[in-house]
Amino acid sequence: MALAVSLGVAMLLLTLATINGLGAQNARGAWMATNPHSQRPTQRGGELSVTTPSLGSPIWWIVSSNQFENQLIVQIDVAATGAHPLIPPGIPSLPGPGQFYASPALAALLRTTPASELGSRFTGTMIGTIGASALPSPDDLVIVEGQSEHTMAEISGASVITSFVTSSSDGGPDTSGTTGLQIILAVLALVLLFPVLVFVGAAMRLSAARREQRFAAIRLAGATMRQVSVIATVEALVAAISGVTIGFCLYFVTKPALVHVPFAGQPLQASDLSIGLVDVLVVAIGVPIAAAVVARVALRRVQLSPLGVTRRVTPQPPRAYRVLPLIAGIAVLAYFVSVGRPTSASAQVQAYLLGFFLTMLGLVLAGPWLIMTGSKLMASRTSRVPVLLAGRRLSDNPKGSFRAISGLILAIFVTSVSVGTISTILADHGSTSSSAPASRTVTDQFAFTTNNSIPSVSQSVVESLRSIRGVKGVTIVYVAPANLRIDGRVPNINGLGGDLQDGLVSCAELASTPALGRCHAGATYAALGDDVAFMRVTRSVTVAASTTWPSAQPTTNVTKLPVQLIAVATNGSTSVIEKVQTVLDRDFMFESTTSLFGEVDAKSSQLLNELRTSSEVVTLASLLIAGCSLAVAMAAGVSERKRPFGLLRLSGAPLGVLQRMVAFETAGPLLVISVASAMTGFVASDLFLRSQLGLTLRPPGMSYYFIVGGGLVGALAMIASTLPLLDRSTRPQNVRME
Amino acid sequence: MIEAIEVFFDFGQTPALRGASVSIREGEILAVMGPSGSGKSTLLHCLAGILVPKSGEIRLSGTRIDTYPESERSSLRRDTFGFVFQFGQLVPELTAEENVALPLLLGGVRRNDALARAREWFGRLGIDGLERRRSGELSGGQAQRVALARGLVARPKVLFADEPTGSLDSLTGELVMELLVTAARQDGTTVVLVTHEPRVAAYADREVVVRDGRVSSLTPDLAP
Repeated sequence: MALAVSLGVAMLLLTLATINGLGAQNARGAWMATNPHSQRPTQRGGELSVTTPSLGSPIWWIVSSNQFENQLIVQIDVAATGAHPLIPPGIPSLPGPGQFYASPALAALLRTTPASELGSRFTGTMIGTIGASALPSPDDLVIVEGQSEHTMAEISGASVITSFVTSSSDGGPDTSGTTGLQIILAVLALVLLFPVLVFVGAAMRLSAARREQRFAAIRLAGATMRQVSVIATVEALVAAISGVTIGFCLYFVTKPALVHVPFAGQPLQASDLSIGLVDVLVVAIGVPIAAAVVARVALRRVQLSPLGVTRRVTPQPPRAYRVLPLIAGIAVLAYFVSVGRPTSASAQVQAYLLGFFLTMLGLVLAGPWLIMTGSKLMASRTSRVPVLLAGRRLSDNPKGSFRAISGLILAIFVTSVSVGTISTILADHGSTSSSAPASRTVTDQFAFTTNNSIPSVSQSVVESLRSIRGVKGVTIVYVAPANLRIDGRVPNINGLGGDLQDGLVSCAELASTPALGRCHAGATYAALGDDVAFMRVTRSVTVAASTTWPSAQPTTNVTKLPVQLIAVATNGSTSVIEKVQTVLDRDFMFESTTSLFGEVDAKSSQLLNELRTSSEVVTLASLLIAGCSLAVAMAAGVSERKRPFGLLRLSGAPLGVLQRMVAFETAGPLLVISVASAMTGFVASDLFLRSQLGLTLRPPGMSYYFIVGGGLVGALAMIASTLPLLDRSTRPQNVRME
Repeated sequence: MIEAIEVFFDFGQTPALRGASVSIREGEILAVMGPSGSGKSTLLHCLAGILVPKSGEIRLSGTRIDTYPESERSSLRRDTFGFVFQFGQLVPELTAEENVALPLLLGGVRRNDALARAREWFGRLGIDGLERRRSGELSGGQAQRVALARGLVARPKVLFADEPTGSLDSLTGELVMELLVTAARQDGTTVVLVTHEPRVAAYADREVVVRDGRVSSLTPDLAP
């Protein structure tokens, strides 16, 4: 028992260290999520005035992001408002106009990449690098660029701040730990904690069977039940304390290996993985106390008399109604596919949360009933002794059998939902082949700016873009005026949007950027649906490319209209794409983010990939922990049935019969529950995708199958490692007859 | 039918059998008696192929079986021998009829056939109505009769019974012995019975005593 407890404690400590590590990683980058709340300086008689801060004078602040070769670059523009300005973490001083600090990784890129592809996006000279203590990961691309006060005052969205955020509370630009990500990662960590705690509990029950006969002998000697309880409690405490001590040693030995696991898409630093005093006390005190409680509870299930264990309380079999929440959860999700999703965002959150919660609850409740029903069916029809023995054992105590793998069911469900959803979204937006027009078209969308558009695009910008060798065409989509005459109805190609105005585009320009669609023959102008501006977060770009937009007849000077979108078609070369992005970022840094057309931008893509990676890691860990739990449960089961199985072997039953029985008993539920959880997760994901995004579930990538398959193999290997115990315990020569 | 010839066996430094020899005819019921620790169970285990003697021979119908590898001895125990022990032999997860059918299922008999053959024994041994009970729901005598049925259901050539009535009261023990002897005689099964109770040994055709690892006869061999 001590060894099993030590393994569980080590896993528990590693999980806590991971949670703390993610928090530390996130905290390092929290300052980048500073949400400006300070007042804008007021202007009186041509002079600016600001409130005096308590620590350093306030500074102008705005955070934006852009991409380079699909990597996110976080850009922070700052300007001092007075002497002794507030200084961001990681740098010795606030950069002035024409100066910037870059992270080491970005500095290296600036040195090796042509300026036209990267460096020209930023103004000024690099005067230093940002320290590692201010970066979530050493690979992060971050720049702190100095501007003048007047420049900052002109930027929409820039504000004055008086302090920095020390923990990411409102999700700013994506470090590896925005609030949303950390919450989700915390949930995943909790999902991982559950199987660890189940395993520790199983380890504590391991020696219960062996102890019962010994306690019966002690009762025969005259001890009361109370005295036996005390003995059992002390025994469990001693074993648990030994296990905790060994567990801490195992934790320190294995912790360095955890650094290489990219829980949030990026490896942690060794110093991030730490456990606090509270964590230590909770584990060091909580686990022995839990062991003592488990020992007392286990004794209460049996009646110990001096003649031995006389009666055991038979667990109540699970009833069929346990399946109802699962059915209800799936029904809720299916309902929204048929009638459409709720209109408001808050109603959508409530609806889908209800559906997923019911489904998860249903899986946990239905698990024992499914095991019982399946095993009864199996045992009632089989002629094979291993299946008969395993089926009876499982149907006798399905809750006990399910307990060892109960943590796994949630982990696989959550992972399947997240991997299925994320893979589908990324595949739908990023699945355009390298030859498709969308993969060669860079767009700068203004749909998410304060005014949903910029006033105009200067001719110099357009000429700069056209002058780049490799650019095939430039299209400017204007905001369509309210009284625009349109021939026919503008198609809504994704079922979403409708919040913006439609776009207006020159057909001559549109022909040069085929990814955005085409005009009717002979048309001069066309009206584009507003969902083109949402393309990065909505439906497949292939629909846009095949859309023929209705003709429009503007009555005003089109070039004076506000601009909604700029699209630049290229020859697809990475160099050309980065040059185009550099021009657009330089001129429209604070109004928009450039990306390849329809591609989920780097920020969302990074976040989604991090979530997917985290989910897969949690699943792998949960499978391995479930394997440990099952191995411990199997060892306990063999110990309990040593005599009848030994006599069975003595009577001529081959060892293989017992081994196959054990395989069915442990691996059977593991495989069935894993498949059922995964299938339920994918069904739930598909229903969500259909109703919310109008997408159909795409199969997840190979990494999911490798992770789940590898985890199952690892779990089965752990179970198989206890088979020698089965042989040793049941050898005919070792059976005691008296 | 089955015989041990100058068998020696020890458990480490402790000798259990020192040149034990016994021969059992086909259809005979032999009682092996002796004080606790005399080696009678060890002799039974050697005859049954559970233990391999350090020296000496075990022959079944003239063929040496002590030289068989464990897999063949295991097959022998499954296909040719039957066993009844003192206690703890029923699989708790299975019903009484499934326990009885176990040797048939292990031998590849289909489920329905195996259960049908198993149910016949419930009538023969006076335990009708207990087919669907679990072992925990049976009295000691009932459980031992189920165990007896399991030992005989495959119609073994030799039945080894090690203290079959050791955990039963005298009346129930006598009932079990009567049923065992009756069933064995009906099927012509050879029985090797280990006991320390003279009343139980009285059911046998012949009695031998194991003392200090050697065998001596208590009753003369009256076979022609």
